[in-house]
Amino acid sequence: MSSFKRDKKEEEDGGGNPFQNIEKTTVLQEARIFNENIINAKKCTHILTKILYLLNQGEQLGAKEATEVFFAMTKLFQSKDVILRRMVYLGIKELSSIADDVIIVTSSLTKDMTGKEDLYRAAAIRALCSITDVTMLQTIERYMKQAIVDKNPAVSSAALVSSLHMSKIASDVIKRWVNEAQEAVNSDNIMVQYHALGVLYHIRKSDRLAVTKLVAKLTRMSLKSHYAICMLIRIASKLLEEEETSNDSALFSFIESCLRHKSEMVIYEAAHAIVNSRRTTSRELGPAISVLQLFCGSPKPTLRFAAVRTLNQVAINHPAAVTACNLDLENLITDSNRSIATLAITTLLKTGAESSVDRLMKQIATFVSEISDEFKVVVVQAIRALALKFPRKHSVLMNFLSAMLRDEGGLEYKASIADTIITIIEDNADAKETGLAHLCEFIEDCEHTSLAVRILHLLGKEGPRTKQPSRYIRFIYNRVILENPTVRAAAVSAMAQFGALCPDLSENIQVLLARCQMDTDDEVRDRATYYSSILRQQDKSLYNNYILEPLQVSIPSLERCLKDYIQSKSDEAFNIKSVPVVAAPTEEEKQISNQKTEGMLISTGPPRPVVSREENYTEKLSAIPGIQQLGPLFKSSEIVELTESETEYVVCCIKHCFTRHLVLQFDCINTLNDQLLENVRIQLDPSEGYQIVKDIPCQKLPYNEMGTVYIILQFPDDLPNTVGTFGAVMKFVVKDCDPNTGLPDTDEGYDDEYMLEDLEVVLGDQIQRVTKMNWAASWDESANGFVEMEDTYSLSSMNTLEEAVKNIIQFLGLQPAERTDKVPEGKTTHTLLLAGLFRGGHDILVRSKLALADGVTMQLTVRSTDADIAELITSAVG
Amino acid sequence: MGLFKTLAVFLRIKKKEVNVLVIGLNNSGKSTIINHFKDEEDKQSEIVPTVGFNVEKFQNQSLSFTAFDMSGHGRYRDLWEHYYKDCHGIVFVIDSSDKLRLVVVKDELDLLLQHPDICNRKIPILFFANKMDCKESLSSVKIAAGLGLDKIMDKPWNISASNALTGDGLNEGVEWLTQQIRDTIVNRN
Repeated sequence: MSSFKRDKKEEEDGGGNPFQNIEKTTVLQEARIFNENIINAKKCTHILTKILYLLNQGEQLGAKEATEVFFAMTKLFQSKDVILRRMVYLGIKELSSIADDVIIVTSSLTKDMTGKEDLYRAAAIRALCSITDVTMLQTIERYMKQAIVDKNPAVSSAALVSSLHMSKIASDVIKRWVNEAQEAVNSDNIMVQYHALGVLYHIRKSDRLAVTKLVAKLTRMSLKSHYAICMLIRIASKLLEEEETSNDSALFSFIESCLRHKSEMVIYEAAHAIVNSRRTTSRELGPAISVLQLFCGSPKPTLRFAAVRTLNQVAINHPAAVTACNLDLENLITDSNRSIATLAITTLLKTGAESSVDRLMKQIATFVSEISDEFKVVVVQAIRALALKFPRKHSVLMNFLSAMLRDEGGLEYKASIADTIITIIEDNADAKETGLAHLCEFIEDCEHTSLAVRILHLLGKEGPRTKQPSRYIRFIYNRVILENPTVRAAAVSAMAQFGALCPDLSENIQVLLARCQMDTDDEVRDRATYYSSILRQQDKSLYNNYILEPLQVSIPSLERCLKDYIQSKSDEAFNIKSVPVVAAPTEEEKQISNQKTEGMLISTGPPRPVVSREENYTEKLSAIPGIQQLGPLFKSSEIVELTESETEYVVCCIKHCFTRHLVLQFDCINTLNDQLLENVRIQLDPSEGYQIVKDIPCQKLPYNEMGTVYIILQFPDDLPNTVGTFGAVMKFVVKDCDPNTGLPDTDEGYDDEYMLEDLEVVLGDQIQRVTKMNWAASWDESANGFVEMEDTYSLSSMNTLEEAVKNIIQFLGLQPAERTDKVPEGKTTHTLLLAGLFRGGHDILVRSKLALADGVTMQLTVRSTDADIAELITSAVG
Repeated sequence: MGLFKTLAVFLRIKKKEVNVLVIGLNNSGKSTIINHFKDEEDKQSEIVPTVGFNVEKFQNQSLSFTAFDMSGHGRYRDLWEHYYKDCHGIVFVIDSSDKLRLVVVKDELDLLLQHPDICNRKIPILFFANKMDCKESLSSVKIAAGLGLDKIMDKPWNISASNALTGDGLNEGVEWLTQQIRDTIVNRN
């Protein structure tokens, strides 16, 4: 009775989740009821529901548990209850990847899928395909083919979708079903046609010609299914992207004709395809934009959202085209759907004029607190773009950002605001003081450790160079008093920067650092002790090397080297020079990573850990005999193509520079399917002074596989000789072979050779880029101890300073310092500061003064620890 | 069938549901035997090799059978044991024309008899020496001797020669099985 009452009470609570308190072990216990002789369908259905619920909540079953449940479930096939049977199918699908021996149900499912009960058939097919592996596919192939062309649309769709899933494991079997899929494309059912097209495309997608034919045929056929047309548009636009010819093709006119389709979905898809195409010109953009403009006024929120979102994306590449929609977008600002409003405003910000910025910012402020973080990030990104576009507006934007920074929000949102402020500071010197002040205020109350650390680092870097460095010390020291150990440690480092750069503050800083030495955390104490002892020395060069300049070696390499060192147990001290230096990322790489996410509503995952090119190659090279003893890899060049990309054999070269050796890695691909190449060698004609130490041929080069030939050279002792041009010929033995099997027809082959383009070894191959935080300090310090060379050149082929700067950086392979790679507009003189490291660990500093007058005149000053290197650089430029 | 009817009327017992397991090497005729017992409209015209298992139901006058028709392919024989626990009787089908694999049959039979779920139960085992119409086929006596059936002391067993295509000998075998299962159930009650 009491239990009855309790049940009643629970019922009255209502709305609660009936499965809330179930437990895995109890449910598995209950599942034993499946084994009974007489099946209670109702009870079993309920227990199966519980199992499925648990699995979908992320509960993990062990292989043994799963197998037990699975086999108990197989016994339910004796019940004729339709609902129970369908639950069993679902159970099979869920457990198919965990339980063992799931193929046991193959026959039972085959029976159901070919049986009379229509309710079983489609579901049975899906379950069957989830338990089938490559070896078993043969057995069910006949049934699958029948099912694809079945009269019942549900069955046909299920079979098609399942074949699509299975093409991941057995694409060659699925390829044989192409005729059935072809027939299904002609189906009257919307979904069947769509799924059939999906399968057909998947089967043919690696064969460009076949896809072109497929599209050509289907575009003429006028498909019934809107989904299928949308898919066709996507395929067509993909083909267009790959195609070399212009947009006048039949494919494009098909997409354009879809703009006049009666289904909104198809119209949108077509417009989307056109605006996202890389090669769309503004003339072609016109009709698509006007369709989207029409959608902006639609009563359906989904359509409005889709249209605004697409316009928002286009605004990046074609701002002029979107301006036509400005009036419609203005109307959407007040849309009751905040997502639409946000996108509308950010689009307007991208396209709008400077004068409208104030008004729009005010508008955003009214609802920014109502939208989700995701959209706030979009707003922030739009503001960043705006700040770069209109530097004069920085005060309005900065105020707005600081207000946003004070609001509630997640880490991603806050980080994007901080990022934006940092970009504005870096880009616009006027905004620096206010920006830093805002950030200081923000870290006073910042719950995100990682963000606080970043801002403290920035303060340490930028603060000492402002007019009044002392005002930042209070903010930083507050962190030492109030925050967790990680932030405290960062604050200590930031203070040390002030101590090193501002002589008048040095004494005060030392007092503060002395206090930090009493900290409870090891890391904080260590840092404080380290910095205060350096500051006590009052030695500029020590400051430079140990406080201002960060560690320049790549951290993974350092870890590897230290590990090797510990294992080798040698008595020598560890030499940090032996660790490869990390290359500073080039400007293009940075831009690419930025551009991708700019203003898009796409949440990118956590950024991948950056592994330098050298790190990647080191692993590969260390497996090659004879390369390991050359020492650590210093620099790997970009890939140089030695052939045209569409010739019989494609050869690329990568130059790996070691301390005294050069390793050339030739990646060869054989594109002839009726030839097998053996004993592939590269005959090199090196320039004077180079010695070939060893070459490692590639034994076998089958069709379409990459083979690698290595050549190890020793650098000439005379530095000027290290720059040169090598002739190269690829030599090999050809064996004719059967294109299908790849096996050679005979054992006899014949010798052949193939001319490659000349390979140039340039100065940049031997120099690693190094970022100098404080270039001027290093330059002053290098006045004694370094060798200086100076020369003047006239670069008559250059017409602008930007061009000259770009070429110099590229030619010398050095890293620009203190943002001198950006030439301020309207100037006729510019000074470019560069830094790098020559192989063997020799520092290089270069100052290049440029003046524009009938071509560019350059005065180049090179300082290096080695006289020959300085001479090499000055002579190489000439 | 007539005999079943009389028996049922005679004993007046309710139709009980029982599970039987149909096992044996591949191509011995298990699915064909089961097919024979099915209703006319459910019968399959073509029997393909079973993958895994099939569940079929058929009735005779006193018992309602749920037959688990297992696959006899070497790869799936390990899976038989999952169904040992809950069955009331076992039908073991032997291809009597396949002398070569009689030793394999013996191996599988010994494994079955030693299985913990089987060895301590008094479970009736019915052997069908199938394909008796083949010229080369061994007689049921020879098969019984070859498999050493006389050594099975703790379980009731019976061997009957059969032809699954025509149905000869099948009813007699199942009749025996019905009797045995009914006895164990009656005894338990």
